[in-house]
Amino acid sequence: MAYAYLFKYIIIGDTGVGKSCLLLQFTDKRFQPVHDLTIGVEFGARMITIDGKQIKLQIWDTAGQESFRSITRSYYRGAAGALLVYDITRRDTFNHLTTWLEDARQHSNSNMVIMLIGNKSDLESRREVKKEEGEAFAREHGLVFMETSAKTASNVEEAFINTAKEIYEKIQEGVFDINNEANGIKIGPQHAATNSSLPGSQGAQQAGGGCC
Amino acid sequence: MFGRSRSWVGGQGKSKNIHSLDHLKYLYHVLTKNTTVTDHNRNLLVETIRSITEILIWGDQNDSSVFDFFLEKNMFAFFLNILRQKSGRYVCVQLLQTLNILFENISHETSLYYLLSNNHVNSIIVHKFDFSDEEIMAYYISFLKTLSLKLNNHTVHFFYNEHTNDFALYTEAIKFFNHPESMVRIAVRTITLNVYKVDNQHMLHYIRDKTAVPYFSNLVWFIGSHVIELDKCVQTDEEHKNRGKLSDLVAEHLDHLHYLNDILIINCEFLNDVLTDHLLNRLFLPLYVYSLVTQEQSEDRKITPQVSLYLLSQVFLIIHYQPLVNALADVILNGDLSVFSAQAEHNAHKTSANVGVRRFTKPPESLERSLEMSRQRGRKRAQKRPNYKNVGEEEEEERGGVDEGPEEDKAKGTEASSKGSRTSGDTEEIEMVVMEKCKISDTLTEQNITDEEKSAARAEGQQSRPFLDMVYNALDCTEDDYHALFVLCLLYAMSHSKGINPALLEKLQLPAPDQERASYSQVLVERIIRVMNQAAQPDGKIRLATLELSCLLLKQSVLSGGQCIIKDVHLACLEGAKEESLHLLRRFYKGEEIFLDMFEDEYRSMMSKPLNVEYLMMDASILLPPTGTPLTGIDFVKRLPCGDVEKTRRAIRVFFMLRSLSLQLQCEPETQLPLTRPEDLIKTDDVLDLNNSDLIACMVVSKDGVQAQRFLAVDVYQMSLVEPETKRLGWGVVKFAGLLQDMQVSGVEDDSRALNIIIHKPTSNPHAKPLPILQANFIFADHIRCIIAKQRLAKGRIQARRMKMQRIAALLDLPVQPSSEVLGFGQSAAASSQLPFRFYDQSRRGPADCSAQRSVFDKVPGFAVAHSASQHSASPLSSPSPPSSSSGSTGQCDSTVTTSTPSTDACLACILPQSSSDAALESFIFILHFCLPLCSISLACLTCDLCPLFSSSQTRQRWPSARLLCPPPAEARGGGGARVPVPVPTRADGRCSSACSPSQPCPGAQPDAGRPAHHLAAVRPNTDALSVDSLTLLPPADPPRLRTFSTQSSLQDDAPPPPPLQLQLPLQRPHLEQEDGRPEQDPGPQKEEEEEEDGEEEEEDEESKEATSSADKDSNEPEPSQPDLEGSQMTVSGLAIPRGRLLWPRGRV
Repeated sequence: MAYAYLFKYIIIGDTGVGKSCLLLQFTDKRFQPVHDLTIGVEFGARMITIDGKQIKLQIWDTAGQESFRSITRSYYRGAAGALLVYDITRRDTFNHLTTWLEDARQHSNSNMVIMLIGNKSDLESRREVKKEEGEAFAREHGLVFMETSAKTASNVEEAFINTAKEIYEKIQEGVFDINNEANGIKIGPQHAATNSSLPGSQGAQQAGGGCC
Repeated sequence: MFGRSRSWVGGQGKSKNIHSLDHLKYLYHVLTKNTTVTDHNRNLLVETIRSITEILIWGDQNDSSVFDFFLEKNMFAFFLNILRQKSGRYVCVQLLQTLNILFENISHETSLYYLLSNNHVNSIIVHKFDFSDEEIMAYYISFLKTLSLKLNNHTVHFFYNEHTNDFALYTEAIKFFNHPESMVRIAVRTITLNVYKVDNQHMLHYIRDKTAVPYFSNLVWFIGSHVIELDKCVQTDEEHKNRGKLSDLVAEHLDHLHYLNDILIINCEFLNDVLTDHLLNRLFLPLYVYSLVTQEQSEDRKITPQVSLYLLSQVFLIIHYQPLVNALADVILNGDLSVFSAQAEHNAHKTSANVGVRRFTKPPESLERSLEMSRQRGRKRAQKRPNYKNVGEEEEEERGGVDEGPEEDKAKGTEASSKGSRTSGDTEEIEMVVMEKCKISDTLTEQNITDEEKSAARAEGQQSRPFLDMVYNALDCTEDDYHALFVLCLLYAMSHSKGINPALLEKLQLPAPDQERASYSQVLVERIIRVMNQAAQPDGKIRLATLELSCLLLKQSVLSGGQCIIKDVHLACLEGAKEESLHLLRRFYKGEEIFLDMFEDEYRSMMSKPLNVEYLMMDASILLPPTGTPLTGIDFVKRLPCGDVEKTRRAIRVFFMLRSLSLQLQCEPETQLPLTRPEDLIKTDDVLDLNNSDLIACMVVSKDGVQAQRFLAVDVYQMSLVEPETKRLGWGVVKFAGLLQDMQVSGVEDDSRALNIIIHKPTSNPHAKPLPILQANFIFADHIRCIIAKQRLAKGRIQARRMKMQRIAALLDLPVQPSSEVLGFGQSAAASSQLPFRFYDQSRRGPADCSAQRSVFDKVPGFAVAHSASQHSASPLSSPSPPSSSSGSTGQCDSTVTTSTPSTDACLACILPQSSSDAALESFIFILHFCLPLCSISLACLTCDLCPLFSSSQTRQRWPSARLLCPPPAEARGGGGARVPVPVPTRADGRCSSACSPSQPCPGAQPDAGRPAHHLAAVRPNTDALSVDSLTLLPPADPPRLRTFSTQSSLQDDAPPPPPLQLQLPLQRPHLEQEDGRPEQDPGPQKEEEEEEDGEEEEEDEESKEATSSADKDSNEPEPSQPDLEGSQMTVSGLAIPRGRLLWPRGRV
């Protein structure tokens, strides 16, 4: 369980844009993306390394809870990073970004790092939203932008890790109050915990670290 | 976290296609061989389980036989078996992930039923995982959440067992309701909401009977503990050092309220009853409301009143559930402390243990234990009567359980009983007490019939409404507006609450939006006006947000169905406050460029960002005592100003708000702000007559290299780039127009023929980076033309800014610098010279006369409506002969009068400024005489505008007959209405704009249509507007007079006029404390008079009502003009005309 920081992420965006697939793709490499199988998950965690520090990412998919205002509100508040996902083959998911962003900005703490993700970049032939449009939207709203494919795993790593890097930088700059867990950032347990943990779980961790 | 290196251990060598039934069979084989988890097979098992997940999902999407096999072999049992072996975190996490994936990705309902059918899932739910491991906890709660998302009327039966009264999914989840990890808490809340959403009566009955009381009482305690923590944070953080924590606690409280609201709006009735009972009697009343009145040193006091007010505002803003908010509002508005004691008595004879029902107390036992107990009780009975179905009977049994509960409680010596067995029977009784109380207070108040009596009753019955008293008293801002802001928010929130019965508010005459009413709460309005007055003081401690909210509430109170029902005395006080703000702003006025920018910035930000109370109440920073330092990062409107710049900004904003309020209450349109209306400006694609304009040809090269041949033209406020119109000679089409004031011109280093021009977009945020709307190089034919252009632009910029500064000065009644020359399309020399003259004339009048000066000044500039007037005045202006000979003028008037009244006004108006010589004045008066029968209204307006001329005593003596110009009121009342077919509230500009759209320069009309013609407009457009303002602009000698003076009743008032000019503003002293809502009376001779008037007032009131109604019928009455006359007459010393005679009923405009 040894990590320097734990960052909590949320994934937001219209239904069907591939949020939970992105999540599974990032958190569990063993589920190989295959042609006739789409698997997603609502929660996942994974260890990454930034600047020589072990950082645990905990990602919560907020799908299906939009009908309760209190729930979305709380989710936004509890996260340090958010992946705002749209589907490049569906224009409407791109058009709804403004609403999502407004929601996020209203409820989240002002330091939350938001990454804009155009998913399903493998479906080039059915593309409806140009890459440039995504870039422009991101520029306009001060977001980081990336096109990904949960299917081919292209850019998935980068999306999550770049977001984490940005959060990490903010911590270094002292923007985030890391002692306040409400920001979605947690300082890891003391180093002593490393020794006491089970060999099995340690092995799993190393393996997890190895796959990034 | 799972290594790829260990992947596919189980998949080796068997089948190429891992997504197949065969592979599942192989995996099954692996499971049977490894029923015991060891260190050696751990990885193999994990991978096997993972692969099974994948195949099942694949099967769900492609091959149903996979599921059949899974069920047939009861493979879930293997999972459980592995789980129960304490196999360690690694395996647990894998199992939970598998289950998560399984339930989330299954799309076929039958597959789902298969998975749920043999109760294995419930066994997994109740399995005691190691919840201290945060990853296991996260996967577990996600698993429950995933399951809860699958709940519906059918699937609920797999989770809720009617016979055993088990609902593990729900009961296990709520045990984590106060988990330290926020994501876990959110998941729990999601699960509960998903459960409540399922419309299954049996399940919901179970929830209510077995779990609702333990859960809600613990939840309420949890929320209350946060509130107390929040309060501690506020009390220990006067220095604003711990803002992060405070804002988290506030956000947390908001989360709680939103969650409660989400439950309430699912609208599951009996669940809501329990929740409402707990919220009211264990949280809102004992903790929030009770804290409003408890003494500081009292032990009972849990939180400070300001925190309590703030939180209550949030409650009313978020929760709209009628039974809850109505009962809560009723206690605040009508209740007294017996709410707490009576409750205790009421319960005393029933069960001694329940004494503290309305107390904020910790539940006697943990939620987990409560659930356990209630479950066991359920079991016992279930064993007794296994086929128990009847819900009604069950309740009966439940009541049997009540006896158990209190006994236990007694034994424990705790006050509250939160046994799972307490049912809605208790709840109803508790609510009935509240209702009874309402009824009593209802009857109390309903006996009072009139408004006055009502407020008197309120004054008498003050002891009985400690909460309301506290609320009203907290509006006092003598020291600061710390409490007042919250009170205003609370009142706003209550008046906007959909859940509060309008009758409840009406009883106290509280403002409810969109409701017709004839009266308003005088206590409230007076206190609000006092806040406003304090805001206008130089050292006022009122924040802008408080002022804006005051304005909102005041408008809500006195505007009813498009009508303003404000009493004249209140209006007068308000006008006084507005005047104060004007004085305040004058102190900060500087002839510098930055003042103009600030002035316009503030106007824009006021208009673009109106106050949002809900957002305001989300901001934790207002919970701390008001501060002035910007270092706290608090928004400017939510703190006090710091330094001169901010003080200036604040003064500007206060002035804007009070001015706008005053105009709105008098149903007058704003005619002077913003300084430039967008519709008055030249816009792209406008077609202009450029025949008399100086144009310079140039090549415009924009930043991205696009070139275009354009002509540069400089107008009053704008520079524009035009290209020739193809059809009309001498006309041009505008391709770009930008404000000169926001322009930067600089030379280009290596090209003497070129200029670099940047025009920024005006922003409302002073800190935002200005956004350029034009950034281009202008290349001219030669360097001479370049220099000319540069000079012209520079001059135009200065000129434009100066003009605006003049208009600000005029708005503030300050002396104005004359502008030597004004650039613009097709303007006449006379035009530019008249403006300064007029202002000069006013400014020379000295301080003694300054109220009179103000009354005119306030109205003079009117540029915004200016050009509509200028269009009408087109013909007289272009007339070659100046109106110095009476015959010429008469002729002019003749012709215009026959056409339309507005043009008559304009005609006269345009003569006026030029009539600086006595001869001209003579001719002017002649015109007035001549036109009198035809256009009495316009004349009246004009006369009063003329008053500065007349009021100089010299002129007065020479033109004593000027008085005659004023049409006798009776005549005007009778006849004027017929002549001017405009409804009462319509102002001069309204008429003009209907005659010709002001924004569109009509082709063929004067080309200067787009440019405000100040000299003309200065006279004409605001004449009507003067009417009401002048009442306060000329405050009476003493406060009591103010009332008589300004009420309609004074028509009949024959009292001798007080000294004509006294600059005593009634609101400089707090007069409003009087119970009857009238200003404090000055001792001395006035008192007698006042009493006299008092006597008259009642009759007069009635009469005035008649007058009002008749005014309503005859809406053509020229009312507005009359008080002007009165106002101007007042300024002329020695020419006393009984004021009362001239006063015109203002009507309830």
